[in-house]
Amino acid sequence: MASPRPNTFPVAPLRKGIIARDMALIAVCFVLMALFIRLHWVIDFTIFCILVLSFDLLYGFMGRLSFGHVLYYGTGAYVASLVLAHLSSNPFLAIAAGVAVGAALAAVLGFIVMQTDGAPFALINLAFNQIGFWLVASGFQRYTRGEDGLNTTAGAVGFINFTNHSIAFGFLLVCLLLVFLLLKVLTLSPYGVTIRSIKENDDRVKFLGYNIFFYKWLTFVLSSTVAALPGTLFAIFYGFVAPTIISPFGNVEVIFAVLIGGAGNLFGAIIGGVVYKLMSNYLATSITRWEMLLGILLLIWVFKFRRGLTGYASELILRFKRKQGVEA
Amino acid sequence: MLETLIYGLTIGAILYFFSIGLSITFGTMQIVNFAHGMVYSVGVYLFITFLPWLGKFFPFALALAVVAMLPVAFLVERFVIRRLYGESLDYAIIATYAVLLIGADLIKWVWGAMPQPVSDPLRISVRFWEINIPLYRIVVFLSAVALFLGLRAFFNRSIVGKIVIAALEDRPGVRCLGLDVNKYFSIVFVIGSGLAVLGGVLYAPIATAEPYMGFHILLVAFAVVIVGGMGNLTGTFISAFVLGLVIAITARFWSQAADTMVFAVMALVLLKNSLLAAWRRLTGMAARTG
Repeated sequence: MASPRPNTFPVAPLRKGIIARDMALIAVCFVLMALFIRLHWVIDFTIFCILVLSFDLLYGFMGRLSFGHVLYYGTGAYVASLVLAHLSSNPFLAIAAGVAVGAALAAVLGFIVMQTDGAPFALINLAFNQIGFWLVASGFQRYTRGEDGLNTTAGAVGFINFTNHSIAFGFLLVCLLLVFLLLKVLTLSPYGVTIRSIKENDDRVKFLGYNIFFYKWLTFVLSSTVAALPGTLFAIFYGFVAPTIISPFGNVEVIFAVLIGGAGNLFGAIIGGVVYKLMSNYLATSITRWEMLLGILLLIWVFKFRRGLTGYASELILRFKRKQGVEA
Repeated sequence: MLETLIYGLTIGAILYFFSIGLSITFGTMQIVNFAHGMVYSVGVYLFITFLPWLGKFFPFALALAVVAMLPVAFLVERFVIRRLYGESLDYAIIATYAVLLIGADLIKWVWGAMPQPVSDPLRISVRFWEINIPLYRIVVFLSAVALFLGLRAFFNRSIVGKIVIAALEDRPGVRCLGLDVNKYFSIVFVIGSGLAVLGGVLYAPIATAEPYMGFHILLVAFAVVIVGGMGNLTGTFISAFVLGLVIAITARFWSQAADTMVFAVMALVLLKNSLLAAWRRLTGMAARTG
């Protein structure tokens, strides 16, 4: 979809110092949150933030809005649970299996969904998500136990024991930082510049001789694979999965979290994930009309607040710097 | 089997009522309108409220519910849809989805989360070869056919319909004639919303009314619109009945799989071109080597 006005985006070189600083900042913020908010909430935030980061690659950086991203998250969760229940209690095996199956599913479905763009893309993803939800809830009921959900327990490997909340939190935080690092490196690389150019104007990228279908497919697979990871972590940490984890309604949460933070900004994705989870944990318990509030916030966002928190923050910083420059 | 066919045609009729508005907004404004589900479900709940007031007389309550939702639809068009015209597709999807969420929560607030059954207004069955078919379903089917013929006349004969059809083909061209396209889209949008309420009320005795009913029919209706071709009114009519039959026949053998089958059909239609291309490549290769 061509944007109506020519747009530019900064192409920053990859600087190790800055990435290390960002990662340290995230780690400190999460540890502080863990100290002040209940620990199992922060664990939930961490898992959600990884999912939001993965969606940001597809939507924020390549501009493809999918209404079916949760399919890969749920696939990861169910595969991990099934591995734990039937094959082995090794959590790393479950993670590897979940991510691998998520990647394989995305590789196959990516060929199909990436033939489309715009509205059909959003809807065909929704359709696949609905099919996945149905398969889990009733199609494969014999294996997934349908609406009752699947209970599993993960064993300990060395000192990594998921029943200990502190250790689990540390492990999840490392996962979050690694995903952040991976996506940061990817989006700053020539590949990242290409997919951001596809977002701006895919025809021009095609004219430059790029095989844009390959790039779109690759981004879809990468994004979905990363989305499977938090699913597996969810299954291992909570030891329980139910079909709601793969329900298409979950997509709205992810989309909203990306939007709050500011699409196309990895920091924004993490801030958005945390802010959304804080809102849904605190407000949903105190405000009964939570969905209505969410709807109103989404409308405000669409009409007044499109750049998200990080967009506004960077604008403020820019204005501040400019003012200083004038005075000096 | 006859029972299944009639059931499929009834579902198809409801889908047709609902999908017209969706198809027109898709075709004219390139907007995926999730808010259509809000108009539909709130309309049904208004109908349930009006029914006891009007002495349980179905047609009056139906007409009142449709009329009551028209201003709501107008407001949605004026303040949400029109402001998003020409913008990126994502904003429209997110904003109209927000309207749908607000609608679902409003229903839970006012009427509660419990499903509300509506009784069959006719309570008469017709016997066909030893099988009892509720007359109501046949009436629903026939009214959809009547609506199709009526809409054909509207779009081919009336000036509003002609302008909208022309604008579906070439919007700038119509604007160059000095016509305010938005005004006509607004009229058609409100008509489409009224038809959605009509469909919802007609469906209520077959299913039950629940706060999230708008979400469920939207998913299937998107499939109808995509299979029929966005903005193609005859295509929408045919695909609504085809998918209605798909739902009914699947449900006869495996009831939980009904909706999923619809999406499988939709995926096939969306991928028609690429599948055909792949098939040609395969057969072409075979011809070359053989």
